[in-house]
Amino acid sequence: MAAANEKITADAIEATEFMDLSRKYRVTGVPKTIVNETIEIMGGLPEKMFVRQALELPEDAPS
Amino acid sequence: MGLLSPQDEATLKQHLSGITLPVQLVLFTQAFGERSESGDVAKQILNEIASLNDKITVVEKNFVLDTEDKAKYNVDKAPAIVILSDDIDTRMRMYGAPTGYEFVGLVEAIIVAGTGHIDLDPETMKWIQAVDKPTHIQVFSTPT
Repeated sequence: MAAANEKITADAIEATEFMDLSRKYRVTGVPKTIVNETIEIMGGLPEKMFVRQALELPEDAPS
Repeated sequence: MGLLSPQDEATLKQHLSGITLPVQLVLFTQAFGERSESGDVAKQILNEIASLNDKITVVEKNFVLDTEDKAKYNVDKAPAIVILSDDIDTRMRMYGAPTGYEFVGLVEAIIVAGTGHIDLDPETMKWIQAVDKPTHIQVFSTPT
């Protein structure tokens, strides 16, 4: 997503190496995705479902 | 002795063969303190990857001393890998040693940076390209 839009930055974080961050975001299972400090996505989701949740798009988001 | 087996090296080399753009892997590490060992592992992994394709280069930075680059790439923890495509920031970062499943993610990011091709559904791409506000995504994972 980051490569596709200059407004987006994407960090892949090794949870066991950065325990302070893992605690901050209550990472109890992986993968866990945090978007803009507020949106939490647990697990690996299908592409469209993940992007909808990450961008807070409605189920019937127009293309 | 490398971290990759000869067979894995051959497979990886094949995966990377489609790269047409220079890819710079800017690695921030620190010599002392926690995670310095992780930085050593990250360095070894990146150097092994770079040895398989002459378009991939590793640029080493010191997390404590290279403050200008740290600010330029907005790096706040180490080890950190900043992925550039032809010297342009792709805005993709990896924090921690890229081992196990993280290695797969790194290779995929390198291929995106080196080909300019993003393998997403066209509809999904439209949603992503329509984003007009700063969006910071953090994905937590583990090597296994």
